[in-house]
Amino acid sequence: MDRRIAQFIAALRASGVRVSLAESADAFRAVEELGVKDRETFRSSLRATLVKEQQDIPTFERLFPAFFQPGEPPPMSDATQGLSQREAQMLAEALRRFNQRLRDMMEKLLRGEPLSPEELAELDQMLNNSEMNDLRYQNWLARQMEQALNFREVRQALEELMQLLNEMGMNREHLERLRQAVRANQRAMQEQLRQHAGEQILQNMVENKPREPRDGLLNRPFQAFNEDDLRLLHQEVRRLAAALRTRLALRLRRARSGQFDLKATLRANLKHGGVPIELRHRDHTLKPKLVVICDISTSMRYCSELMLSLIYAIQDLISKTHAFTFIDHLEYVSPYFEHHPATQAIDQVLQRMPGGHYNTDLGHSLKNFNETYLDTVDHRTTFIVVGDGRNNFNDPRLDIFRTIARRARATIWLNPEPPALWGTGDSDMQGYAPLCDHTFQVNNLQQLANAIDKLLLH
Amino acid sequence: MTRFTNPQHLKAALGKQNYIASDEIATVMYLSQQLGKPVLAEGPAGVGKTELAKALAGATGFELIRLQCYEGLDETKALYEWEYAKQLLYTQLLRDKLSDTYAQALTLHEAADRLAAEEDVFFSMRFLLQRPLLKAILSAQPTVLLIDEIDRADAEFEAFLLEVLSDFQVSVPEIGTLQAVHRPLVVLTSNNTRELSEALKRRCLYLFIDYPSLEQELAVVRLKVPDLSPKLARQAVELVQRLRGMDLRKAPSISETLDWAKALVTLNANSLDQATLETTLSVLLKHEADLQKAKRHLFSPPQRDRRSGMEPPTPRWQN
Repeated sequence: MDRRIAQFIAALRASGVRVSLAESADAFRAVEELGVKDRETFRSSLRATLVKEQQDIPTFERLFPAFFQPGEPPPMSDATQGLSQREAQMLAEALRRFNQRLRDMMEKLLRGEPLSPEELAELDQMLNNSEMNDLRYQNWLARQMEQALNFREVRQALEELMQLLNEMGMNREHLERLRQAVRANQRAMQEQLRQHAGEQILQNMVENKPREPRDGLLNRPFQAFNEDDLRLLHQEVRRLAAALRTRLALRLRRARSGQFDLKATLRANLKHGGVPIELRHRDHTLKPKLVVICDISTSMRYCSELMLSLIYAIQDLISKTHAFTFIDHLEYVSPYFEHHPATQAIDQVLQRMPGGHYNTDLGHSLKNFNETYLDTVDHRTTFIVVGDGRNNFNDPRLDIFRTIARRARATIWLNPEPPALWGTGDSDMQGYAPLCDHTFQVNNLQQLANAIDKLLLH
Repeated sequence: MTRFTNPQHLKAALGKQNYIASDEIATVMYLSQQLGKPVLAEGPAGVGKTELAKALAGATGFELIRLQCYEGLDETKALYEWEYAKQLLYTQLLRDKLSDTYAQALTLHEAADRLAAEEDVFFSMRFLLQRPLLKAILSAQPTVLLIDEIDRADAEFEAFLLEVLSDFQVSVPEIGTLQAVHRPLVVLTSNNTRELSEALKRRCLYLFIDYPSLEQELAVVRLKVPDLSPKLARQAVELVQRLRGMDLRKAPSISETLDWAKALVTLNANSLDQATLETTLSVLLKHEADLQKAKRHLFSPPQRDRRSGMEPPTPRWQN
C-alpha cells in the first residue's frame, strides 16, 4: 500500500501539484493514524496532507479513484454451464465454422476467462502507449485495445453463432441464457480493458518525469507560446510573484514619518530615569500603491492573458492595486480579481471585452480614466501601462497622459515590442515614452522579471 | 477536557456544540490533533470556518484564544509587549526600596552589582503583556488557537508566524526562550483574498470548506432555527442553493441563510411568496445589483428562468 501511495504522490507531482517531501511524510503519518479501511477517511487524510491549493483539488479527485479503486474487474461466468451434452456438441460444431482467430476469442468469452497478464502485456507492446500520461485518454486507449482484439468482429461472430444455434434447434430458453451470459462476459472484459488502460496510463505518469522547460520558457518570446505552455507559464508567473513578494517585503521603504511614539520614547528613556531626553518616532512603512492599465486589444491578445495573470499576482502582493483594462474604452477589473481564482477571473475579463478589428483607442481610454478614476493616482502611486502603444491613429491624448504622469510618483510603461519598432506605423510610443520615468521592453519572462524587479524598487 | 479517539468521536462532539461537521472536516481535525499540525481552513466567507474553531474549543473544553489578523498586524500586537507604563510606575514607587538596596554598598561597583541582581524584577513575566500567541504558548491548560483571516495579514507577519507554528516556542530577549507547555490546537482561516506562502501551507493540513449540500444546509437550518417549519426551511434552502448557482457578486453564505431563516420566523412567514421575498431578500444579498438580478430571476416566468440560471459556455480566445 505504501508503494501505491508513493506512486500516487508521483502522479500528483506529474500532474503539476506541488508536493514537498515533508508533505508526503505527513501523508504517510496520517495514513498510519487512520488506516486505509474507510475509503472516505483515507481520501480525506491524503487530501488534507497533500493538496494545499483549491485549484489542485480537481486533479486530486480525478487521480484518487484511479489509484485506489477496488481494482478487480467484474467477475465473468462460464456461459456454457447448464447446457446439455447435445447442446454443448451443437455449440462446438457451430464454433468450428469460424476461423481460428475469432474462435479463440469467442471461446474465451463463452467460458468466461478474463485476459491473462501475458495477453495484456502483448497488447501493450502492440499499441506502444508509453507516451500517454493523461487519464483523459483512458477510454480512448481502452477502445484502441478493443480494436486490437477485433472486438467488433468477435461481437458480430457471436451474434452469428447465436443465429446458427437457433437454426440448429437449440432450446430457446437455454439459448437466451447463453446470450445473456456472453453479453455480460463481454462487458466484463471491456471493463477489464478499461481498468488496464487506466493502470497503464498511471504507470506512465509515474515513470515519465514531467517536462522541465523552465529555461526555455524564460527566454521565449510571448508570441511563441501555445496553449499547453500557458499552464506552465502561469505556474512560472506565480513562482516569480512569490519570489518578488519576499523581495518586496525586504524593500518596503521605512520612513520616519514624524509621528511621535510614546511607548518607544518611554522605554528609550528608562535609562534616564524617565526624563524624556531621546524622542522616538514611529516607524512608518511606506507601502506602494499601483494603478495598472493593460491593453487587451487584438494586437496584444497573445500576451494579455499572461499580463493579466501577472497583474493578478501583483494585486495579491500589493493590496492597494487598481487594475484596469482597455480596448476602446476603460474597464475597472480589480473587483473580478478580488473574488475569483486567477484563471477564472482572467477568462471573465477577456470574455467581457472581446477583441475587435482596429478599435484600440488608448486616447479615449485615458479620457475615461481622467474622468472617473483620476483620484486613484496620487503622489504615492506608481502608474503602470502595459501595451504596445498602437493607437490606430486615434488622438493619443498626450495631455492627459502628462497630467497623470505628473500626479504619479512614477510612471512606467511595459511594451512587448522592441524599441526599434516604436513610432512605426500607428505606434504612438515615441510620444508617450518621454513622459514615462521608465520604459521596458517585455517580450519574455526574463525581461518581465527584470522589469518588475526594478519597478518595485521605487 | 477531551482527547478524541477517532474522527467519529470528534464529529459527535462537534455535533453536541451545534456544529454539523462533514466526515472530511472531522477527519482533518482529528489528524490535526494526532499529528500536532495546524489546520488551514479555506473557503468562501461565511461557511463556518471560524465557527469550527469555536465549536472545537467547546467540544474539547479548551480555552479559545483568538487572533484576528489585519493589515499592519505585527509582533507587538500578536505576541507580547512590555508594559512600559507599569514598569515606570513601579520604579517610581519602589525608589525608596531601591535606595535601601544599595545604601550599604561601599563602592559604586558593588552598588551596580546589587542593582543588577534586582533588575530581573523589572523584566519579568509581571511586566510582560501577553498577546494571543504568547498566551496560547504559555497557557497551563491546553488551548485552541484561532488565527482568523490570515490572508489579511502582511507577508512579513506570515513569515514570523511560521517560526511560532513550527516549534511553538518564542524567544523574549530579556527573559529567554519560552516553550509551549501544551501544543495548542491551531486553526487558521483564510478567505483566499491573496495567496498564502508555500512554506506556511506546507506546515498546515489543508481543509477546503465549500458551500454545503442541500441536505447539510437544511440540517444546519433545522438545528439553529428550530422554529422554522420543515417545509418552509426546505423551500428556503432550495432557493438559497439556486441563488448560489447564479453569477452574483457575493453569493449568500450559510450565516446569511440562517439570518434569513430567523427573519422568516420573526415575520411569521408561512410561505415564500413574492411579498415575503421582496421584503426579506436583502438579508441574503448584500449588493444592490445582485438583489435586482435575483429578483428578475425569481419573479420571471419559468422558461426564462432556466436559461438565465445556466452558465454560458466559456469560449477560449484566439489570436
